[in-house]
Amino acid sequence: MNAIVALCHFCELHGPRTLFCTEVLHAPLPQGAGSGDSPGQGEQAEEEEGGIQMSSRIRAHSPAEGASAESSSPGPKKSDMCEGCRSLAAGHPGYISHDKETSIKYVSHQHPNHPQLFSVVRQACVRSLSCEVCPGREGPIFFGDEQHGFVFSHTFFIKDSLARGFQRWYSIITIMMDRIYLINSWPFLLGKVRGIIDELQGKALKVFEAEQFGCPQRAQRMNTAFTPFLHQRNGNAARSLTSLTSDDNLWACLHTSFAWLLKACGSRLTEKLLEGAPTEDTLVQMEKLADLEEESESWDNSEAEEEEKAPVLLEGAEGQELTPCPADSSLLSGCGSWQPRKLPVFKSLRHMRQVLGAPSFRMLAWHVLMGNQVIWKSRDVDLVQSAFEVLRTMLPVGCVRIIPYSSQYEEAYRCNFLGLSPHVQIPSHVLSSEFAVIVEVHTATRSSLHPVGCEDDQSLSKYEFVVTSGSPVAADRVGPTILNKIEAALTNQNLSVDVVDQCLVCLKEEWMNKVKVLFKFTKVDSRPKEDTQKLLSILGASEEDNVKLLKFWMTGLSKTYKSHLMSTVRSPTASESRN
Amino acid sequence: MCGGTAQTTNSPEGWQDSAGCVSGAVSGPGRIYKKLLCTKIQKHAEPGRSTDHMDLNNSWSCSEFDLNEIRLIVYQDCERRGRQVLFDSKAVQKIEEVAAQKTEDVPVKMSAKCCPGGSSGSNSSHTSSGGSLHHAKEQLPKYQYTRPASDVNMLGEMMFGSVAMSYKGSTLKIHYIRSPPQLMISKVFSARMGSFCGSTNNLQDSFEYINQDPNLGKLNTSQNSLGPCRAGSNLAHSTPVDMPSRGQNEDRDSGIARSASLSSLLITPFPSPSSSTSSSSSYQRRWLRSQTTSLENGIIPRRTTDETFSLAEETCSSNPAMVRRKKIAISIIFSLCEKEEAQKNFQDFFFSHFPLFESHMNRLKSAIEKAMISCRKIAESSLRVQFYVGRLMEALRDFRDTIWNLYSVPRIAEPVWLSMMSSTLEKTQLCQRFLKEFTLLIEQINKNQFFAALLTAVLTYHLAWVPTVMPVDHPPIRAFSEKRTSQSVNMLAKTHPYNPLWAQLGDLYGAIGSPVRLTRTVVVGKQKDLVQRILYVLTYFLRCSELQENQLNWSGNHSEGDQILNGSKIITALEKGEVEESEYVVVTVRSEPALVPPILPLTAAEKRNPHPAGSTETPEDIDMRDLGPRPDREGSSRPEQSSEAGSVRYQEPALESSWKPQGTFGETEESRKEVPQGCSSRFSSCEVLGTEIKVNQQTVSEPWKVEIPKRLPDRSVAWPCPSRHFREKFPLEKVTFQIGSSVSPESDFESRSRRMEERVKACRQDPGSASSPSAKSRVPRDLAQDQQVSRCSFEPGFREDACRPQPQSSEGDGGESDRGFAEDRGIRTDTVADAAEQHHHITDSCAAPNSGAGVRGSTLERARGQCWQEVEGLSLAPVPARCVQRDSGQVPVADVPCGDADKRADCRMQGDIPRNESSDSALGDSDDETCASAMLDVGLGMEASLEVELPLPRSQSISTQNVRNFGRSLLAGYCSTYMPDLVLHGTGSDEKLKQCLAADLVHTVHHPVLDEPIAEAVCIIADTDKWSVQVATSQRKVMDSTKLGQDVLVSSQVSSLLQSILQLYKLHLPADFCIMHLEDRLQEMYLKSKMLSEYLRGHTRVHVKELGVVLGIESNDLPLLTAIASTHSPYVAQILL
Repeated sequence: MNAIVALCHFCELHGPRTLFCTEVLHAPLPQGAGSGDSPGQGEQAEEEEGGIQMSSRIRAHSPAEGASAESSSPGPKKSDMCEGCRSLAAGHPGYISHDKETSIKYVSHQHPNHPQLFSVVRQACVRSLSCEVCPGREGPIFFGDEQHGFVFSHTFFIKDSLARGFQRWYSIITIMMDRIYLINSWPFLLGKVRGIIDELQGKALKVFEAEQFGCPQRAQRMNTAFTPFLHQRNGNAARSLTSLTSDDNLWACLHTSFAWLLKACGSRLTEKLLEGAPTEDTLVQMEKLADLEEESESWDNSEAEEEEKAPVLLEGAEGQELTPCPADSSLLSGCGSWQPRKLPVFKSLRHMRQVLGAPSFRMLAWHVLMGNQVIWKSRDVDLVQSAFEVLRTMLPVGCVRIIPYSSQYEEAYRCNFLGLSPHVQIPSHVLSSEFAVIVEVHTATRSSLHPVGCEDDQSLSKYEFVVTSGSPVAADRVGPTILNKIEAALTNQNLSVDVVDQCLVCLKEEWMNKVKVLFKFTKVDSRPKEDTQKLLSILGASEEDNVKLLKFWMTGLSKTYKSHLMSTVRSPTASESRN
Repeated sequence: MCGGTAQTTNSPEGWQDSAGCVSGAVSGPGRIYKKLLCTKIQKHAEPGRSTDHMDLNNSWSCSEFDLNEIRLIVYQDCERRGRQVLFDSKAVQKIEEVAAQKTEDVPVKMSAKCCPGGSSGSNSSHTSSGGSLHHAKEQLPKYQYTRPASDVNMLGEMMFGSVAMSYKGSTLKIHYIRSPPQLMISKVFSARMGSFCGSTNNLQDSFEYINQDPNLGKLNTSQNSLGPCRAGSNLAHSTPVDMPSRGQNEDRDSGIARSASLSSLLITPFPSPSSSTSSSSSYQRRWLRSQTTSLENGIIPRRTTDETFSLAEETCSSNPAMVRRKKIAISIIFSLCEKEEAQKNFQDFFFSHFPLFESHMNRLKSAIEKAMISCRKIAESSLRVQFYVGRLMEALRDFRDTIWNLYSVPRIAEPVWLSMMSSTLEKTQLCQRFLKEFTLLIEQINKNQFFAALLTAVLTYHLAWVPTVMPVDHPPIRAFSEKRTSQSVNMLAKTHPYNPLWAQLGDLYGAIGSPVRLTRTVVVGKQKDLVQRILYVLTYFLRCSELQENQLNWSGNHSEGDQILNGSKIITALEKGEVEESEYVVVTVRSEPALVPPILPLTAAEKRNPHPAGSTETPEDIDMRDLGPRPDREGSSRPEQSSEAGSVRYQEPALESSWKPQGTFGETEESRKEVPQGCSSRFSSCEVLGTEIKVNQQTVSEPWKVEIPKRLPDRSVAWPCPSRHFREKFPLEKVTFQIGSSVSPESDFESRSRRMEERVKACRQDPGSASSPSAKSRVPRDLAQDQQVSRCSFEPGFREDACRPQPQSSEGDGGESDRGFAEDRGIRTDTVADAAEQHHHITDSCAAPNSGAGVRGSTLERARGQCWQEVEGLSLAPVPARCVQRDSGQVPVADVPCGDADKRADCRMQGDIPRNESSDSALGDSDDETCASAMLDVGLGMEASLEVELPLPRSQSISTQNVRNFGRSLLAGYCSTYMPDLVLHGTGSDEKLKQCLAADLVHTVHHPVLDEPIAEAVCIIADTDKWSVQVATSQRKVMDSTKLGQDVLVSSQVSSLLQSILQLYKLHLPADFCIMHLEDRLQEMYLKSKMLSEYLRGHTRVHVKELGVVLGIESNDLPLLTAIASTHSPYVAQILL
């Protein structure tokens, strides 16, 4: 809880004084922030507050400050302090408690070191003990304003056989800037603070009774003529709270109690806030990763990494092995960053479309989307690699099986993207199959005519691409809806590459959501065909090509999802019992 | 109220009585009270047939709450003339005079006009109750203003305080008055007023005219009772310069940068979707809130409230030169029921819903302002007073009604979203129920696209659903249909606590986009059943977080608490505590002592006479010191160590009988336990340092531990690893997992501890034989020796002292120990692994000089090496001296050549006893986590090493669902009338809505309940009688007077969503699957908004065609999608606005 708790005393000699004060220090950044949770805001916060924060933090702990609280702290001069206005002995460094789990530190001193906080506490103390009026003088009050912070104050008396009226006046105050929070916490704070007060009073009462028993002050005073200076003179006017309660550990005890109070109040209410389910792509990526990890466990190449938080690991790995996340493709597309390499590579779908030409690209994309085998034959491994990286962005992660470069033909069930060296023989049934498309990359003759104008395509201009398939797609066929949308997006130069990326994400998720329903319907529930047909039309996917596409994409569903659906069917109550 | 003056003025009982007997008579509020009760009962009596599940109930039983017990006092405090009561509702009596002819003149009518939401609006409800109330327009009830109640002076004192504050802004106070129990909330404003036009003087004057009450201040016959407008040119403006006043549509930029929500505008957008900012907007809101209200760096006033009390008409310009120091206080007093339960109920409600109370108080304030200003136009004194009192009573009545309504409104018992989130068992039924209603509505009331329009509006403005569909990057922990709770937000709540109630309120109002809009939804319709269905279904889309209440306990068993701590002091405290406990039983405030016993630091006394290491003390002394302060540590900056010491203390209670404080050696029953006392404590402390509190708990009970681990982690960066090793090795006598709020330990740790436990058991059964030779050897040793040993090891600094000549150790302050610290560290880094290993050997050897000779030979070599290193570091450290010292306490170690090393060895000895295989490879067992945390500790420790560290007690958290939150209170059912605060409610007619809405919206913007500026207030009005959905906003005036707001554009995304859900449902897909699909579709919308925001990054204009072709985004989707986008990409708003 972002608050300061302080014990204040109205000293008979010096007026309202802050005796003891517990502050909360938080880690500058939330712990979750490291895991990519909110880099933007993190930085922002740093920029905005960081300077102050760090400096004050250091300040607060600089040896000069803490060690000699007496000299440099803005607190009252020694001479102004009597026993009654002092808590920790001069030179006492104060107390600190660490809450390991939350990286929160609770620090107690007589006064806050931070000058501004000092005055805030001071002001609250004065108000609590000499401005605000509480009926009966003992009890809770809330007061405050935006400038000085908001205060929950509870005033109380402590018995003192030597004090005027046999009691001294104290208050415990809680200061916050978050007014609403403080008011919301009133019932809680009241209960806890009153508990602390009761115990303090209880201790003091014992001492008081003992002292009265030993030397009844009242009688003594009655017999003595009243002298106004009596109490100031006799040196007892200023007794410390420690002696009033006869508890040498009082300050340590208060520190712990205040720290505890702050902790308990800060965690009194917690919220359960739900976040969205991961996308299918994310799930599949994680599954793949898990597999990889299992494999690599024996090599144990990243022991340290495993100790790290999962998200970090995931992100790192994603970058390495599962390239086609939007971030990557946007990297690819950023011409500037790739320029230096001068490699003949495809940078984006749009780029590829430009290079291949719209008709060829459409044919290629069609096959890709439908899950047909896509074979690239080229001498240039990088080129093939980049082609696959670009093409795969059209598919859900789970539908992508790549063999980047092979010296022999691999069957379609093993891969839907296959890179081959030019010499490899492709079986004739594949060549003539309508379920395969072959892109042959030849070194271009000078006259090659692909429609590239940009200079950065020069690296590719030395190649020419021939796209063939066993059964070419009829030009008038409508094709899967998603293909048309992708083409539209690629064609529209107004849309930046980032927009296209987002667009792909949307389209894929949209269609994966249809796939999910279809899967549930056909595979899990095994519903009759007529129903399926109905369903498909509800989903807007009743055309043949769309159906084909959905069927192919179904293979890309995550195991997690599938097994979840299966299990809930088997035991319909399974999901209920969780939470 | 109907009672005589005498009654009302004095005793509260009399007051209550009179109020109670009012029923037949005049009192308006009393009437309402009755009437509402009736409606409530009716509601319960006739639950809709199919709407059982939507049955309404009250979260707050308010039968004990009496409206008349809300009192209003207005006070002024003027520098020159002191304090004067300007109004006290307790002093007002209503006189039933049908012919109040005099008051029927101009100002009254004017008032009816200029006070929207005032008289006529609330009157309608009054009159409908068939009371004897009169319409204000016709007959203004005549009030008699009598002498203010006797307590008013005291209350004034409380409002203003006994000392004048120089602060110019408004201050807020809450007082609790014990008897009779009352809650007083007051606000003090600086007055802004005409300079020479005596403003309230007239009033004062008038009161006196009526009262002839000299207490009310000196009669001031102000001449200038006419025309404040004329006076206007000279109006003074006491508003401080740094508080710019603002127009209603201004952005209030004084607060803009500080506002958690608005500042999102300034924030760089989140990176690409690949970054896992799942609940980013929610997260960010909360994070910023915690930052902006932080106290750590000094305070930053977040917004300067220009809340002054205006005594001048706004049309009049003010003259800042003429500033008069005058303050106006407005105070509302709630008399609380004497019954505890009822009182607690209301207090809970009051404090948790304070923002709403405050907002209405602000309303009341503006009404008072207006009344004061306009009454000045009335020349005749008695009329003026009559007018003034009437207006104030009216405003007060509105306030009372609103509070009553808020308190007693029928609420939706089972808001779908919240129930799905929290209820574990009936999820499927819940899904089915919801889907049934949902599809029913889609089918039946989507004529004219009504339902689609409503849902579009709700999704557009109540944006809190967006974070709940943002895809995350982490795997789902549980089943699919279940979303997971946001870990990042959870973590944030722990590390940077913010106010979850506030966060929830913002969610409910949909105030998470940018610019911040605050939205409410009202469903109007004569068909109650239908309206209730709609409300029920909407509670699935109006999302917010669910709150949990956690009770944090620091001692697991407070029954044991009695034995806490050393000495009688604590016991007394506890006795007292128990007494109190019984006092508080009803309140259930505490189940444990409120004063948390510290884990002891050094007490002053102990500090003063530090004990040198080797000094021969009585066991008691030693023991004491073990627990408490290290002599040389005192005052020095070694948090870790003191914490160790402290933890000892702390754990005692938990240990139950295993430990007796101070010098109770002889008394301990089992020798086994006696021996280890010191050690156990140390060990536990080590755990504290190295790992979570939980561990701590476990180890508490284990007496065998030595401090090695403890020392290691805290002292040296390089040494953390062994701690795990030790942990593993050390047998646990009893594993009691105290599940606190702490992060759960690595799972394998549990198994390890189990293993340990087994070992311990083995050891325990026959300590002699089972344990290693060294253990045996230890047994014979006398306790003192043991103690000594343990103590030495306890503290590194100390150890070094031991090596040195006496003077140093007795020196006992910071400088010395600091040095020790430094030295220590140096050494440690050199010799980490080796040393750790050696320690074992040494330990063994030391402990059992006779039996372990062989081992010792080799280990000693190493030990020596290490030792020398240390010595070098020390540069002094006369070995002999030290040995001597130690010898005094400890015979067996005498032959160890090197002081330091053997000393450590001693200590270790105990730890190693149960398991003698010193070559344990566990040394190499690097526990990264432990390392990390240990390093962290060291880091922190060094940084903060100035303060004495006291560990926090371990915690135990008991969580219960919190139902007293906005999620349960602001989603209301079918209400008798329109109400301003509710996030969602239904009502039969839009009559009051029409009257009040505009003013309500404006008020909402001016006094945002979220405690930060908002840009716009919005109300969605769905009318099932007219089948229209409109959105009213504070920003635009509606041209068409027949309409409340603008018609909503139906998003085709939404309608297609509705259609497909309906179709799927008809195809008999199971309900929970349909809901999954629904969530998927909502996620699609989110993704599309991402695309849109990406698109907008490069475009200032949206070419809808482009979007349409590619993604099917149509122009009617744009408002929805941009609103969604504004939650994650604030710049979208900037572009579009």
